[in-house]
Amino acid sequence: MSESRAERDALVEHVEQCPDCQADPPPVLEITALLRQATVDVDAAKLSRRALARLRPELAADAAAALRRRVAAVVLLSLLPLPAVLAYDACWLRLAYGVARAILPASVAAVVVLGQAAFLLFLFSATYAAIPLLVARRELPRPT
Amino acid sequence: MATDEQLVARLADGDQAALAELLCRYERPLSHFLHRYLGGRDVEDLYQETWLRVFRHAARFDPGKRFSTWLFQIAINLCRDWHRRVRPESVPALPESCGAADLDRTEAGIDARRLLALLPAPQREVIILRYFHDLTEDEVAAILECPKGTVKSRMHHGVARLAELVRTRARP
Repeated sequence: MSESRAERDALVEHVEQCPDCQADPPPVLEITALLRQATVDVDAAKLSRRALARLRPELAADAAAALRRRVAAVVLLSLLPLPAVLAYDACWLRLAYGVARAILPASVAAVVVLGQAAFLLFLFSATYAAIPLLVARRELPRPT
Repeated sequence: MATDEQLVARLADGDQAALAELLCRYERPLSHFLHRYLGGRDVEDLYQETWLRVFRHAARFDPGKRFSTWLFQIAINLCRDWHRRVRPESVPALPESCGAADLDRTEAGIDARRLLALLPAPQREVIILRYFHDLTEDEVAAILECPKGTVKSRMHHGVARLAELVRTRARP
């Protein structure tokens, strides 16, 4: 949508294609001369700056909402394999407790396995806590 | 470089950079269109309102359409609403069927800006888009959501009216 082409081209083009205009040709040059005087005195960049400033709060709100939607989607998606992972870890911990119980007193074996379980719980928590941070880092709108 | 349509998709998610880029691309044609259509009045208000609507409806933008067409459709609808609300105060609007006497009366006041304002809105829309914004008849028809034949007809009547005004102006 440039304004590069001379207005006269469009006017001439119309007159050439319009049978009515050919029958009674309009004063193309005079019309063009007048239209060209219709200069536009407007600071477009200033208008854009003000428009952007007015829209910025709504943009920020929309960006935050979009981020929340994405984080929720990613968290839900990552929760899907969680039951299988938990079941696998439970089996592994039971097995580890059985082995530890064979070589250690019951109380000591329980402490070792519970420590392992706590460590796994910490890893899970850290992983899920990192999801929103990673999504936010990737999705936050670029500064203007 | 992202296309306009890609930028609109990003804008729907609140991407400020996308809006800034669209503003940069269309600030000149849009502001000039509004200025010519409105005769310089309330340009800033309608400019902001146009972009506000672009932003608010970005999620519903049909990617099969051209963004520029959509943008100008929004702007034209706002301008039509504006004309319904605000009557021109400094520029006298002549009825379509005014005679030579009416034209003579306003002859002295006709300048380039008034010349456009003297055109009925449908003809003014076509003249501005066609002559000042380098758009084809098909593009103008898409923006105005009317057949190409209607664009041609409005253009003919617009040119005829401009010719009439120019001749009246040149009359000694």
